[in-house]
Amino acid sequence: MLQTAFNGLVTGIIIALPALAVTLLFGVLKFANFAIGAMMTVAAYMVYALNTELGWPMLPATVAAAVVFGVLCILMDLVTFRPLRDRGGLTLMVASLGLGFVLENLARLAYGNSARSFAMELARPFRYMDIRMNREQMIAFVVATLAMGIMYILLTRMPIGRAMRAVADNPSLAQVRGIDSAAIIRWTWFIAGMLLAVGGVLIGMDRAIEPPMGSSYLIPVFSAAILGGLGSPLGAFVGALLIGIVSEMATLVIPPNYRIGIPLCVIAAILIFRPQGLFGQAHIRR
Amino acid sequence: MKRTGFSRRKVLKTLGASIAVPLAAPFLNLAHAQGAAIPIGVALPMTGNAGAYGPDMGEAAKRTVERINKGGGILGGRKLELFIEDSESSASVAANLSQKFINVHRCQSLVGYWGTPEGMASRPIAIQNKVVLMVSSAANAITEGGSDGYVWRFQMKATDWGIVISRAAEKLGFKTFGVMGLQNAFVLPIMRVFEERMTASGRKVLDSLIYNPEQPSYRAEVERIFGKKPEAVFCFGLLPDFVSIMREVYRGGFESNVVALSIMADAEGKFVQAVGPQVAEGIRHFQPMPDLSAPGYKRFVQMMGAPADRVYLFPPNTHDQIAMTALAMEKAKSPMAVDWSKQIIPVGNGPGEAVDDVVAALEQLRSGKAINFQGAGSTCEFTPTGDQIGRGMGQWIIKGGKSVFVDYAKP
Amino acid sequence: MIEFIVLMGIVVCFSGILALGLNFQWGLGGMVNFGLAGFYALGAYSCALLMLKGGFNTFFGALGAMVIVGAVCGLVAFVTLRVTEEDYFAIVTLGVGEMLRLIALNEDWLTKGALGLTGIPRPLSAIVPPTYYPYFLLALSIALVVACIWVLNRLARAPFGRVVRAVREDDVVAATLGKNVLWARVRIFAIGGALIGLAGSLHAFYYQYIDPTQFSTIVVAYAFMAVIAGGRGSNLGTIAGAAVVMLLLEGSRFVKELVNLEADQLAAIRIIIIGVGLILLLIYRPNGFLREYRLQAPLKEARTTPQSTKEVTT
Repeated sequence: MLQTAFNGLVTGIIIALPALAVTLLFGVLKFANFAIGAMMTVAAYMVYALNTELGWPMLPATVAAAVVFGVLCILMDLVTFRPLRDRGGLTLMVASLGLGFVLENLARLAYGNSARSFAMELARPFRYMDIRMNREQMIAFVVATLAMGIMYILLTRMPIGRAMRAVADNPSLAQVRGIDSAAIIRWTWFIAGMLLAVGGVLIGMDRAIEPPMGSSYLIPVFSAAILGGLGSPLGAFVGALLIGIVSEMATLVIPPNYRIGIPLCVIAAILIFRPQGLFGQAHIRR
Repeated sequence: MKRTGFSRRKVLKTLGASIAVPLAAPFLNLAHAQGAAIPIGVALPMTGNAGAYGPDMGEAAKRTVERINKGGGILGGRKLELFIEDSESSASVAANLSQKFINVHRCQSLVGYWGTPEGMASRPIAIQNKVVLMVSSAANAITEGGSDGYVWRFQMKATDWGIVISRAAEKLGFKTFGVMGLQNAFVLPIMRVFEERMTASGRKVLDSLIYNPEQPSYRAEVERIFGKKPEAVFCFGLLPDFVSIMREVYRGGFESNVVALSIMADAEGKFVQAVGPQVAEGIRHFQPMPDLSAPGYKRFVQMMGAPADRVYLFPPNTHDQIAMTALAMEKAKSPMAVDWSKQIIPVGNGPGEAVDDVVAALEQLRSGKAINFQGAGSTCEFTPTGDQIGRGMGQWIIKGGKSVFVDYAKP
Repeated sequence: MIEFIVLMGIVVCFSGILALGLNFQWGLGGMVNFGLAGFYALGAYSCALLMLKGGFNTFFGALGAMVIVGAVCGLVAFVTLRVTEEDYFAIVTLGVGEMLRLIALNEDWLTKGALGLTGIPRPLSAIVPPTYYPYFLLALSIALVVACIWVLNRLARAPFGRVVRAVREDDVVAATLGKNVLWARVRIFAIGGALIGLAGSLHAFYYQYIDPTQFSTIVVAYAFMAVIAGGRGSNLGTIAGAAVVMLLLEGSRFVKELVNLEADQLAAIRIIIIGVGLILLLIYRPNGFLREYRLQAPLKEARTTPQSTKEVTT
């Protein structure tokens, strides 16, 4: 059982970064971005290309791809979401659905349907306290926690983070105070893009790289962000871990092929009992 | 309202043009007129779940038709014409394609149909329109319930797969098993037969479960099945999920032997490519396959321009489907399915001279001799219900990143 | 050839009804339903199971499907919309849609799982001779489309329609005016659901075989495309949009002859075009090619009676 809980932790850490991206995007841009699954897929393929075709080791490949992908996200926002900025969250959501399809199929166009893997040695596990762990999982933990830490410092200590929180909280007031919201939005996309890229790599390391890989994570990622409270980065992290653990532990009682129902039930419970999530602020509807 | 360039007129013009193209195309094809080309519809999965398998089958179809046409065509020099379309591994798309083949292109023979849903959806359409449907799918249901001689299976029935695999499992001496299956139409009958036979022979199935396609992770499934430490785990599914599962198995350090199907564990080398030789080491896989030593198969490999030791699982079936269509049409002296569907068994089962080259076989038929066609994928012998008999399954084991042939067995 | 056009016409009809359902839920009601494919599957399976296992005839099968999907949609709306966060609603519908498909795939004691349900009967197939049946089915489908549009238009013009639009534009104001926002939304989603159920039933009748692969998420993209192209809120436009999407899909098969690409690349390009088209339409033609009817009336009135004190139905 401890093993299952640990497996859940691993699952959770993998969805932590995309959940963080979702919550950031929602906080600042005020809409739920349904293209994040496909975005992670595209980023993973970019790393795959650098890793297997150009022969770069994983770390520089990931870093390079993350930066490039961050810029790409800014461009995608410019082309797709900015023209729709004043139309409201619903329209942006539908546009993100379209964008998701486009991105996933661009990956399919370039690399076809077959599953692929990064060129890294798969490691056999080692045992610690009677739990099986392996090196990739350790990497995932380190990377995700590091990213989380950096994000925390960014959002609380650095001016850019404060500006982002200001725009998220009250865009017009932030503007009045001289914050350039267009620049903040660009930064938000850049950071979210990097998070999604690293998230995509972790997913690619965990399972195979194939066009639908990102979309299958949409529901767990969103439910993690909602559980934690949309707009709260710490919430996203905690929510992700909880969703992961609960999903895996649930397989001890329910048939594993219905695992996807768990995040759903979590969302339903949250909506009924505590809509702002664990760490979100209860806000008055307009 | 702003006057943009998108006037209603322009929209209508574009719409009109896009209607005109699909409408015009079939009017350029006067099928069944004297000397006209004979259309054959080919529905193959080029995308979707089974997208990895379609392209080679399409290539086989093209080359077979090329050969037949070069060798003089059929029915007095008429050429065969192929319409190859992507069935997207979806039943509704395949159904629409079948309707299109029949109503627009006037095909009397529909071939390909690798996945079970595609075949199941097209079955009633073929029977209703009195057109022959040749599938390459395994699920028993395809040939269940009368088909008036219009539905023909160029593949081994799913339950037979279970029989062969369970016999091999007994021979390998495994005592305890875990079973994992993809929620898929042909997997379930295989699993059922396998579990029944294993239990009947006194072996223990420790646990068995079904998993969904495209799940984010298969960790829980692997944990449950492999965690019980069976001697062997039998896994039935498709390539993408198997890649995820095997990575999980390796990383979890599980020791059980893994047995799978070749469409997962080989897929023309894509599996080893995706997971690396270490993960793939020791995996056994089974698949109904052509008799590699048969002259018909060897001739097929040559036709495809591949090295002589190349193993093709499905494309030989496509070759046979087209060959049998041509032969039956020639024997019945008619391109209409009502006539030649009755000639499929005489041409495939005999009695007659055994011949494995479709062009030579056509010549024999033209000179009035009876033949017993030996195809590339099988000997093309059928039961009256449309199932193929005499097929066998190959067994391989992956060693050092390559699949090594072990055995060939029949149910 | 004519038969093929007739058959495609039937497909356009029930795809159109599906799009009409989405149009009602999203275009008129402002509620995004990303789980459309799952509800569509629910409609098809309900109808098929009611007929095959329950022994009902096609009329009651379809009716039953409409009731079931409508009820499930209403329930989802009720549970979720007590907290009116539209973004949550989208993810909830996505999740519910996925669960419905999973159930269809896994509960094979009920749905025969991946094998699917065969031998689905067709309406009045005993009476109409087989050679004329496609024409009959087309006529029936067109009649149903017309009926749906008529009903929806009546609803839109009725007081209920005004409440719906008021809620969509600004639910706080609507609530202030004493309109029961939650109940209105539940009804909207349920009515849209009933339409989806009808579309699913027709789907089942047409193919006579249903399995989970027929209800994949790309259906959602097609439906949104149809609604957006036709103009959110406009029913006729939605049907036209459905026809355009269908033409695009079928027409693009012929591109294969002209362009030298692999089939899976071509399929990917098709979907990319749909996605890009969706985004472009949202940006440049948010009202589609036909407009929601309501915008016409005030203009005309304004021109003739500039000082009119008539209530502006916006």
